[in-house]
Amino acid sequence: MITITPKRKFDVPIQAACINVDIFTGKTLEDIKKLAITEGKENLTLNDAFNITEDKTVETPNITLIGDFSKVKRIGQGMKTGEIIINGNAGMHTGEKLAGGKIVVNGNSDGWTGSEMKKGLIEIHGDAGDYTASPFRGTDTGGMKGGIIIVDGNVGSNVGCYLRGGTIKIKGSAGRFLGHHMSDGTIYIEKNCASRAGTFMTGGKIIINGTIELVMPTFTIDSIKPKVKVDATLNAPGPFYVFLGDIAEHGTGKIFALKTTNPALSTYEKYL
Amino acid sequence: MTEIIKSVVCPICGCLCDDLEVTVENNEIVKMKNGCAVCEAKMVHGYKSDERILEPHIRKNGKLVPVSMDEAIYKAAQILTDAKYPLLFGWTSSASETQHVGVELAEELGCALDNCCSVCHGPSVMAIQEIGIPTATLGQIRHRADLLVYWACDPWSAHPRHVERYTAFTDGRFEKSEFKEYVQKLKGKASKKKVEAAIRRTQVRYQPPPRPQTAIVEAPPPTLAKTGRKMIVFDVKKTMTAEVADYFVQVEPNSDYEIFGAMRCLVNDQEIDVDKVGGVPVEYLKEIVDAMVNADFGAIFFGLGLTQSVGRFRNIEIAIAMTRDLNRKTKFVISPMRGHFNVTGANTVFAWQTGYPFALDFSQGYPQYNPGEFTANDLLRRGDNDATLVISADPGAHFPKSSIQNMMKHPLITINPDWNAISRLGDVVFPAQWCGIEQAGTAYRMDSVAISLKKVVEAPKGVPSDEEIIKRILNKVRVIKAQKTRKDVTETKNVENKKI
Repeated sequence: MITITPKRKFDVPIQAACINVDIFTGKTLEDIKKLAITEGKENLTLNDAFNITEDKTVETPNITLIGDFSKVKRIGQGMKTGEIIINGNAGMHTGEKLAGGKIVVNGNSDGWTGSEMKKGLIEIHGDAGDYTASPFRGTDTGGMKGGIIIVDGNVGSNVGCYLRGGTIKIKGSAGRFLGHHMSDGTIYIEKNCASRAGTFMTGGKIIINGTIELVMPTFTIDSIKPKVKVDATLNAPGPFYVFLGDIAEHGTGKIFALKTTNPALSTYEKYL
Repeated sequence: MTEIIKSVVCPICGCLCDDLEVTVENNEIVKMKNGCAVCEAKMVHGYKSDERILEPHIRKNGKLVPVSMDEAIYKAAQILTDAKYPLLFGWTSSASETQHVGVELAEELGCALDNCCSVCHGPSVMAIQEIGIPTATLGQIRHRADLLVYWACDPWSAHPRHVERYTAFTDGRFEKSEFKEYVQKLKGKASKKKVEAAIRRTQVRYQPPPRPQTAIVEAPPPTLAKTGRKMIVFDVKKTMTAEVADYFVQVEPNSDYEIFGAMRCLVNDQEIDVDKVGGVPVEYLKEIVDAMVNADFGAIFFGLGLTQSVGRFRNIEIAIAMTRDLNRKTKFVISPMRGHFNVTGANTVFAWQTGYPFALDFSQGYPQYNPGEFTANDLLRRGDNDATLVISADPGAHFPKSSIQNMMKHPLITINPDWNAISRLGDVVFPAQWCGIEQAGTAYRMDSVAISLKKVVEAPKGVPSDEEIIKRILNKVRVIKAQKTRKDVTETKNVENKKI
């Protein structure tokens, strides 16, 4: 196991895509210390900014980061195997393009966490920022394709945009534009959801266990269902209002909103 | 000596009106024709104010002291090369030639580069990248458009000649001006008021009708079905433009997205399950959509009310999606109402230089783009940068307090013609010429048409153009960097020699 701690408080963002199990495997501690990072425009080695120690007795997790990493971007970018634990906050683009393995954040994570993810697991035991599991600007093919993201706290806006597969479970509340343009996959929220969920969606499902601020007029009520399957391990008990949409995009995505917590949606019952 | 210069381009807003007639006497503008009030305020009075910066200043012991240009250039280059991650911000009131050099400087420094569009129409650019844009030049709209929709903007106050030159009140080749109808409407309103006042005088006690507590949208007027030019305004309050329009729809704040969604459904002949969207009854929306579909050539103009309210670029995305849907049935175009005269130019120049229009980062040696990560306000709010250069912009007056507080923790270089809020905060303050008045150059109109700005008067002695300042800083940065590498090389050589 490699343990990394910051040497000082960072003011300027650090790009450290090299903190990655695939890159670390097969390298000695000396080689790892020489890996290149950038702090602003300055080219540094990993050793210049971080204290790095190796504990050969422990196998997993492969990398442990201790301290505040909120200014360190691209941790575990494109990782295929192994496990990274971050005991502290993680910066932007954590676990971007993840293709396997596991990343655990014992703190908050910033924007674009798990962006363009294909496989693997990201656990965030705090809040997640905006654009979690969403692709870069202007890429409609770069949405999350698979894997699981679990957030214990709240998430910001634009979470799960262009989602094409995989599962996002949020134990707190979600901001606006949840699952914007999604075509497949599942988003499950245990608490409340702000307005404009599922806009432009053409497939997949969003399950809301708390209140939804407003259902877009581009959604039409389909039925009331007693329960809904989130994934192989979890069935959410209902009853749920089922909304179909986005009808302006001729979509067949589904929003499940819990009946007991959403009395305002009872006006839709006359259309059933 | 009096000289009349014709076809001068106005360097204020994105309209770039190019029909001004300026009278110059003894190197001073004394009179102008055709300009709007905003233009006249800057071109006749504003540019020669007492607040003009005439020489470079450097902050020494907390006070700004006048220094020579060479000293200021050296100090600025030193600050920028010493910083790990500077930010270059502004550019939208400079000529495109200056912006071009700016990109070169940013690449040399490996820093963040952003323009003012990140706090105005940047969301429009992002939405265009998401979904594309069906648009036309203002000339096309002037000659052909018969339905004009102004959404969340007030051109009557902010782009005063937009309606007069490009849309409803101009005589196009295929569409006539609406101005006479507007005058008639005004006369009608005035006589109606007179009649009402006369009735009021005859009554013993006049009780005004109770004012509605919430905004009530009036039913669409029958004029919406007429042939010829029509104008619809969507806004949260009754603006000056709304007074001029045929139909004004007052929407609830931050509910534009829902209204666009509902209108998209109606354009696609789909039923919706609700009666009212964003305070507007669906039956009214149906009539508006009917008018839109029946138009021969429609144009939607949108302003900061869409780009800077809740939803930001998603608002524009759905507006463009609605335009796309409308194009299946008729011809419709959409265009942003750009603010500063060369903000479109900043986007265009940055895009042809680097591939991206704003929110750029060169720290990896190649351009990266990510609004939210590299936009000026987000960088400053997080305190990511450690030096700032502001050129032809005033974030001091417009940015949030927390951003400016973080900006002031580090050195600040400003290049502005006059003592605005940010110049007063600067550590190195450069004077500059007024682009479009004292300096010629290229600017891009809001529909991305390049227009040459004219030089009308001579700048005060010793005041260079911002292009020259940026070029000199760039050269100095290159010299300092070369000295540094030479120093490093000799140091390592010395160490190696010692080892041997």
